[in-house]
Formats: sequence, structure tokens, C-alpha cells
Amino acid sequence: MCITLFIILTIAFMVVRLMPGSVYDNPEYSIEIIQALEAKAQLDKPWIIQYFHFLKGALRGDWGVSVKIAPCVPVFDVIKQRIPITILLNIISLVISLPIGILAGTVAAMNRSRMPDHIISFLVVIFISVPSFVFATLMQYFLAFKAGWFPIVYSATAAGTAKYRSMMLPMLALSFGPIATVTRYLRGELIENLSSEYMLLARTKGLTKYQAAFRHAFRNSCVPLANIIIPMFTGILGGSLVVERIFAIPGVGGLMVESVSTSDHFLTVAVLLFYSVISLFTILLVDISYGIIDPRIRLGGNE
Amino acid sequence: MTMDTPNHIPDIPQEKFKFVQLDQEIVDSAFETEPIGYFKDALIRLRKNKASVVAFYIILVISSLAIFGQDFNPYTFRQQNPERTNMPPRVPGLEKLGIMDGTTILRNRRLDSVKDPNQFPEGSVIRVFNQRTVRGVEMVDVKVDYYKLVGAEDEYYWLGTDYLGRDLWTRLCRGTRVSLIIALVSVVTNIFIGIVYGAIAGYYGGKTDMYMMRVCEIINAFPQIVVVTMFILFFGTGMFSIIMALVIRGWIPTARLIRAQFLRFKNREYVLAARTLGVGDLAIIFRHILPNSIGPIITRAMITIPGAIFSESFLAFVGLGLKAPEPSIGILLSQGQKVLLQHPYQAFAPSLMISVLMIAFNLFANGLRDAFDPTLRGQE
Repeated sequence: MCITLFIILTIAFMVVRLMPGSVYDNPEYSIEIIQALEAKAQLDKPWIIQYFHFLKGALRGDWGVSVKIAPCVPVFDVIKQRIPITILLNIISLVISLPIGILAGTVAAMNRSRMPDHIISFLVVIFISVPSFVFATLMQYFLAFKAGWFPIVYSATAAGTAKYRSMMLPMLALSFGPIATVTRYLRGELIENLSSEYMLLARTKGLTKYQAAFRHAFRNSCVPLANIIIPMFTGILGGSLVVERIFAIPGVGGLMVESVSTSDHFLTVAVLLFYSVISLFTILLVDISYGIIDPRIRLGGNE
Repeated sequence: MTMDTPNHIPDIPQEKFKFVQLDQEIVDSAFETEPIGYFKDALIRLRKNKASVVAFYIILVISSLAIFGQDFNPYTFRQQNPERTNMPPRVPGLEKLGIMDGTTILRNRRLDSVKDPNQFPEGSVIRVFNQRTVRGVEMVDVKVDYYKLVGAEDEYYWLGTDYLGRDLWTRLCRGTRVSLIIALVSVVTNIFIGIVYGAIAGYYGGKTDMYMMRVCEIINAFPQIVVVTMFILFFGTGMFSIIMALVIRGWIPTARLIRAQFLRFKNREYVLAARTLGVGDLAIIFRHILPNSIGPIITRAMITIPGAIFSESFLAFVGLGLKAPEPSIGILLSQGQKVLLQHPYQAFAPSLMISVLMIAFNLFANGLRDAFDPTLRGQE
């Protein structure tokens, strides 16, 4: 994990340093000012020195300053303001999509090849296929603009329920995909487990269909669910990049879009690093949780 | 009395025997059914799956639109017309039904300007509503025939025009073509790299396998967004760098799949037989083992295509898409999204296109998977 982070850092550094043109390409600056600025950021030295300088700064938590979006503010501070709202948005969409997905998957599997199953499977295909930003666009137009049920964009100044109301649409847009993923996965797992032999045994013991399903099949189906949480969470993160922009949410995703389009490279590197840390952390978390959820996969090798 | 024991053979004279089939030609009866091979079998199952048949035709229609669609009307994808900006959609035939008839609602207009024939020519105003007084000025919302308003009664922009007056139908067809090309090329490259990598890792096994798979895991640990963004920042926007950015991480699932297939098949007797006969490694890999995996490979390719289309649109949204004036679905979508509240039609057409395309590819891929491997049916 640390090695991966280090490699990402190095690549990020290379990308920024080897970019054509200067970071400070403001037409209002004279050449002297640009040179002075570059000297201050040590951009006039050979790249290997720059690299060590960059690493040293990175270790000390000094990521350079933002150039365009928030001039002269350390990038870490710029990101810090924006992290909570992004994390909140992503976590909430994950949290609301898990139970809904589990519920829908269970209903579909218990009514296999009947009407509820067909309806749910049909919806799943749609929800999995249609990208979250398309949902966001459509909902913004129909639910917020036409129907007026929700605010059109996120309002940062609102407090309490109004704030959460303006977060509803982005959260919904981000949840559709994960809901469908969980539903599809759980349905598959449950169907496999429901037709296994221990279910027959449970039924012969005298359990009803639902008792057997919930006490035995359901539990076993939930174990591999941890598998898909990683790609799901990174998927939500990716989607939130765009959805944040659509709803004008001042989060890290919007920051990345802005920093890329204004070529504020120090900021871009920092944001990319933020995403790397998040996704590496998720991978680690899931790896650890395997051992807790499923006792068979405990590390330690005491066979 | 006669003894009728089993041993008793009745005395039948020789001449009573005769050969039944002496003149008859004895052959195996021919099978009445056609022989069914692997692909035919899959095709039969695929045809039974109505959803994927429909999806297949949708893909066909969209692909032909992408190829020929921009020649259907006289506009080109980059021709700008400053007098025809943001025209609402108008389609001959459909306009009589009241949809896509070139009307639009202009909000917050002064009432006296609406009555002025210089600004709103005769017959262009359809309905005036929502009359109100704001700071002593009469304001109205007005529904107008926009084509009459700008004096373009004879022109038809099927999906309207964008802020530079470019025809959106032509741009959408062109954009679909670009997105499909990006998706196809990146998927083919992914599959190719994946096959070679996975085949080598799976076939040789041991240390080779272990190191190659570690490399895979390391690459896989990089978040997709980060890799793609950095790649494009570095190499600049363009079709080639977008395709390469999608390839960088995209080949890993294919490589894993192929490796698993090779691990399954490499110890079979027929491989041993081939090796005993002196067949080289390359021939064993590509002629004897790989054809077994053709079904999963095709399925894998189909599943990857929607992902590639999604990634391309995502990049366009982030601002790392193709350079103007080249359109792609994602670029059209992000441009339309910016003017969503004023000109919603500019976002709807690309939204619909990308949704239908993704749904069709997903359904078709599901059908293919069920067709090639019926044991997986009903599971995901």
C-alpha cells in the first residue's frame, strides 16, 4: 500500500514536471515574475532535485500552493475544506444503497422467475447501464426544475433539513448504480444458495421457506458482498466527480474538474493523491473485513 | 406326444431358409438433424433470448446511424451558423403532432416587445401567458415558433442546434461514431493484451505466473480515475491518448480470465498429446488451448464496451475529452448539461443515446454470456 502510494506520488510528480509550458502562464505576469515564482517553487532546478524537494515537502505535509483556484493557499487547506461534503455524500449514498439493494435482491431471489423478479431484473439492467451523470441531469431537470420538489443546485449556506434536501438529488443519482449492483450480486448469490443441499436439510428440519432462507442462505450470501464494495465505492467516487459538478457541490470532485481545466497542477496532484488514499484505504478495509466476516479466510496459515 | 423342451430343435428343412437382406444395401441411417457445433449452439440459445435479440438490432441501428447518420441532412458537424444558435428541435412530420415542432418558451419578456412586429414577426407568437408586473413593467412568458421568429421556416434542425449554431443531429451521429470507435479500439486492444499476458502467465505457471500476477495486482491498486486523469494530463487530450488511458488498466480483467482458462485446460490429455507429438508452446497456446476460451473472450469484450463508453463520457465531463470541434457523446452531454435549464433538448438527445447504447450493450452481453455458458444462466 505504501509502495503504491509512493509510485503514485512519483508518477504524479513526473506528470506535473514534464508537462509542457509553465504552471504560471498568467498573461498578466511578466517573465521576471514568472521566473521568480518558479525559483520560489524550485522549478528552475534539475528535475531530480525538484523530485527530492517534492518528496521532502510531501513528507512534511507541504504540497505546494494552489496557483489559480485559490491563489497562494496551500493545496492541503484547499482540499481540507472540501473533503467533508464529498465524504458525506459518498458515504450516505453507499449507506442508503446497501439496504435497498439487499432488500431488492432478496425479493427478486425469493420470487425467482415470477413478476417481482422480472421487474427488478429489468430495473437493474437500466440502473446499471445508465451513467450516474445522466440520472443527475434528468432528475435535475424533471424533479428540480419542472416539478420543483428539490432545489436545483446544492445550497452550501442552507442549514438543517434544507441542506439535506438539496443533497437529496445528488445522493439519489449516485445511489442508483450501487443499488443495482448490490441487487444483481445478491440475487445471484441467493439463488445459488437457495438451491443448495443445506437448504433442503433446513427445510426437512421443519423450518419454513422464509426461516430457512433468512437463517441459512441469506447469511452465506452476504459474505461475498464485501467483494463488490471496493469497486462500488470507487465507482461512486468516480461518479461523484461529475455529479458534484452538475449540482455545484463544493466538493473534492468539483475541485478536481476545476483544477484540471485551469491547469492548476499542484492542486491536481493533491486531489489525485486524495483519491488514491481513499481507494487504497477501502481495499485495505475490505481485506481486513474478510477475516472478520468469514472465519475461513483468516490470515496466519495455521492449517 | 411331443417333447417341447428348450433343447428340442424342430426339424426344418434347409430350403425353407432364405436370406432377407441379400439384395438390400445396409447403411447407417443418416441423422435427420443438422450437426450443431459450438457457435451454432450458442447462436440458437442467443436467438431464444428476446431481450438480447432486440438489443442486437438496437446496436445495429445505432451503429448504422453512427456511420451514415451525418449524411442524412445538409449540415456538417463543424459548420457554425451564428444566426441559428440554440434552435429547438423541429422534425418534418412530427411537427404536426405538436412535438419537436420548433416551438420554445421564452421567459421574462417585456409585453410591449412581444407586441412589436419587428422583434416578434407575424405568426411567430403562439401563446402569451403568466402576465405580471415587475417594477412597473409588464412582463410575460411567451411561447413562440422559434423558426418563424428567426425567419427560418424552411429549415429543419432535427435535434436543434447548439450555442454555435451547429446541427445537433449531425453532431450526435458523429459523436456516437467517435465514442463507438474509442470503445471498440480500446476494447480490442485490451482483449489482445489480456490474451497474450494471461496466456503466458497461465501456460508457463510457476514463478512466471506469480511475478506477472503481482504486476497485475500493483497496476490494479491504482484507482482508475487517477490513472486515466494523469495519463491524459500528460499525453494531452486526443483520441489516441483517451484510448490508451482506457487500456492501461483495462486489460487486467481479461488477463485474469484467460489465465484462469489456461490453468483449467493446460493439463488436459489433448495438450499432453499435442506436446508428445512435438507441437511447440506457441502452437499449443494459440491453436489448442486458446480456442476453448473464445466464448468467454467475446462475452468479456461485450461487457467491457459500455464501460469504455462510460469512461469516455466521464472524461469529457471532467474536461479531458476530445478537442473541439470533434464531438463525442460525452462532450455533447456535458455541453447540453450546461444549458440544461434553458435548452433542455440539448442534453436530452445525448442522454437518451448513451442510455440506450449502454442498456443495449449490457443486455446483449448478458445474452451472449448465457448463450456461451448456459450454466451461468440466472446468475450474475
